[in-house]
Amino acid sequence: MNADQVYIDRVIAQLPLEPALRTQVEMELRSHIAERVEHGQSVEEALTHLGDPIVLAESYLAAIPLIAAPFWPRAAARIIDFCGVVALAVPIVLVVFITLRTVGKGDLAYFIAPVLFLAVILVLMILAVTYPVIAEYRYGKTVGKHLMGLRVVRESGARISFGQSIVRQLPMLTQVWWIDMLFALFTDKHQRAFEILSKTRVVVAREEQS
Amino acid sequence: MSPGPGRDDDRKGIERELKRGSLELIVLHLLSLGEAYGYEIVTTLTERTGGALEVTDGTLYPVLYRLERAGFVAVRWETPQRGVPRKYYRLTEAGQEELGRLTHDWNTFADAMGQLLRQQPERT
Repeated sequence: MNADQVYIDRVIAQLPLEPALRTQVEMELRSHIAERVEHGQSVEEALTHLGDPIVLAESYLAAIPLIAAPFWPRAAARIIDFCGVVALAVPIVLVVFITLRTVGKGDLAYFIAPVLFLAVILVLMILAVTYPVIAEYRYGKTVGKHLMGLRVVRESGARISFGQSIVRQLPMLTQVWWIDMLFALFTDKHQRAFEILSKTRVVVAREEQS
Repeated sequence: MSPGPGRDDDRKGIERELKRGSLELIVLHLLSLGEAYGYEIVTTLTERTGGALEVTDGTLYPVLYRLERAGFVAVRWETPQRGVPRKYYRLTEAGQEELGRLTHDWNTFADAMGQLLRQQPERT
């Protein structure tokens, strides 16, 4: 891959998953690099003038104001995500109960069903914790946040890293997660304590901003 | 005592801050002279200030993007027969008004600073 394409890809990787913004920045960078090349400079020189790709991406994003997501839409998004996990769990619980009621005590299914039930619940609990980590890292939002028109970004507006996505969800593994959540009621940008720690924030998605 | 490297860093820091704070004014002023593309703006600035004011592409393009979003600058793409399309920038009416406002602010600030720095220490 050419050096200019590698550079452009590194800039684009920092931007939110918005096709219009990404296309515009990509076209601009391609055009600006070509201008210098047409004036006799090498691609490497042109890239030196553009500077660090991450800083450049953040400079572009600084032009786009971020609107902090209010507390209640955030809470609603969290409830929607929780309901999604419950919706997965309910049919499994029903199947286990029906199985236990219909089979005799001597049947193998009578012993296997509760074990399967516990295994599935364990998987769902792991899913409940890992899903937001992966979804927010990959797409900048969970289903709940998507439905509420919210997304997760770095404080600069750039996409969050995998590490930041993990740190954001750490309070869910503790019993004091509600204290972490209460921070969102009182901080300027409606940030949870672990969002401040991970330098991330939840904002209104662009479609809703315009 | 001779000024150490820290003093040089401070001076560069002030210069950088001054430049950053006035970059929008610089770009709007250059575009008031006529339509231009990115590289042209960079080279015109260097030429017209004898190299005293230089900006990198990485600093200029996000500013142009910001001005475009704010409606102060309009753009058009020109597609050559061969090669990559080129983006041209020109000042809009709103940009002209913004330029007037920023020029006024700059002149007020420069006058006040000049007045302050011309003052002599009072002798007792």
